Amino acid sequence: METIHLLLVDDEDSFRQPLSKRLAKRGFVVEQAADGNQCLALLGEKRIDVVVLDVKMPGMSGIDVVQNIKNKYPTIEVILLTGHATTASGVEGIKSGAFDYLTKPIELDQLVNKITQAREKILRLAAEHKEAEYRKKIEQQMVATERLASLGTLAAGVAHEINNPLAIISESTGWMKQLLARDELKGMHRREDFEKALGKVEKSVERAKRITHQLLSFVRKTDSSFSQVDLPGLIEETLQFLEHETKKRNIKIIRKIASGPAALWSDPYRIRQALINLLTNAVQAIGAEGEITLAVEDSVDHTALTVSDNGPGIPRENLARIFEPFFSTKSPGEGTGLGLFVTRGIIEKLGGTVTVDSEVGKGASFCIRLPKQLKKVDEFVGGGAEDWIDKVSSHLKDSDVKEKRSL
Amino acid sequence: MIKIPTRVMLVDDEKDFVEMLSLRLEEIGERVTSAYSGRECLQMLEKKEIDVVILDILMPGMDGIATLKEIKNKHPLVEVIMLTGHGTTESAVDGMKLGAFDYLLKPARFEELTAKLESARQRKDEQEERIRKAEAKLLLRRSGDL
Repeated sequence: METIHLLLVDDEDSFRQPLSKRLAKRGFVVEQAADGNQCLALLGEKRIDVVVLDVKMPGMSGIDVVQNIKNKYPTIEVILLTGHATTASGVEGIKSGAFDYLTKPIELDQLVNKITQAREKILRLAAEHKEAEYRKKIEQQMVATERLASLGTLAAGVAHEINNPLAIISESTGWMKQLLARDELKGMHRREDFEKALGKVEKSVERAKRITHQLLSFVRKTDSSFSQVDLPGLIEETLQFLEHETKKRNIKIIRKIASGPAALWSDPYRIRQALINLLTNAVQAIGAEGEITLAVEDSVDHTALTVSDNGPGIPRENLARIFEPFFSTKSPGEGTGLGLFVTRGIIEKLGGTVTVDSEVGKGASFCIRLPKQLKKVDEFVGGGAEDWIDKVSSHLKDSDVKEKRSL
Repeated sequence: MIKIPTRVMLVDDEKDFVEMLSLRLEEIGERVTSAYSGRECLQMLEKKEIDVVILDILMPGMDGIATLKEIKNKHPLVEVIMLTGHGTTESAVDGMKLGAFDYLLKPARFEELTAKLESARQRKDEQEERIRKAEAKLLLRRSGDL
């Protein structure tokens, strides 16, 4: 464990100096201050983890100092030292945000113990904070993906609807051009003007066609970055992200991961996103008290990742619909109805499949099957195979960097 | 050289599209039959000799893929070209796995369409020729046996 940086604040030199020495002997880095103002000044300059503070001091009272510290440096923990007569102010200090108080005369072991406890609290809060930030970031990314997905569905629908009338315009124009080419119309008055105008219509149809096709290919092309995926590592990372939730709900995680499955060449970010979706669903399905089993099975060319829960299961009539966009059995606000739709989209883009197996009362089991090497190059980028190969080879070159990229 | 018309059936629920495209194909000498649904297409195939079916994938009711399966089941020699929007290229490829000759993106270039029509027709002619020869061989062998 890292060295703990202490700040000892007491107006009595004869108390402060020896205590400081004894704490330093126990391995702490100790700074000293004789009053509240000095203490606050020092906090601005040096790194301090825990403040050990006398309640009774001339000038600013210990309670005021606690409030000041907590306002400015919420992550610093404060341990108050009170006299027998001032125990009440110790309680008041805790209300103001102090970690705890000790009554003078103090035992050194007691103090060291308290300091260690305070340090543990700091570490725990820091971890929780980090997890919350991480969760927020992932959730934002997921919202963005889901929004893009629904936008994609819309765009695809619109593009298709426009393509049909475009086809009619295109054929009608072509037919008029064919008519103009007939012998009987060779001498038609202002025939060239008609031809010119029809040429413009044809050109415009081409232009509109390019736009609808671009729109559709944009929707289908995703910014994927491929690298070697360490699946067990990725699973652990994803589980960490949900640990808070599973612990709170008393959900047990069972891992059935074959020892060291061969590495997978795919997009770790996308796989993690799909896995988060499936795990979140499993947690929500269980509610509280239950088991989620994560299994990884390896075959020659595929890796299968199964997420099973012992929740209520999915009724037969819903099974066929759960991958549809906007289909949800969760209450409004809890689910967008896009989670599984997006999950399937992601996995299919990676050349894999997502299947479900469930019986009411027996839980549900979702299985992601991924090819170890992506084969369907054409389908993946909608035709630009060369483009894709370029991308892959450049990723191969800096795959080391990619792997080290923090998530 | 006199062109032998290809007997084409156009199947699409967009009537205006079918109407315009059939005028264009007839203008270049093909013989066109129109159908506006998968069912209608199958009914007409029972009555008429058709070389190539140009079949839209996205249709209400019986869709292009289901229609294709029926065509290939009942009239295996009839060639089918799938018409598809950009978003359903996958189903067009699925269609080829089910025996479609090729597919075209909508809106398609007329030259591309006629070129594919020509190749489809050629394949059908060649296949029919092979069958004729095989039948003749069979007849010959049987008469040899006698």
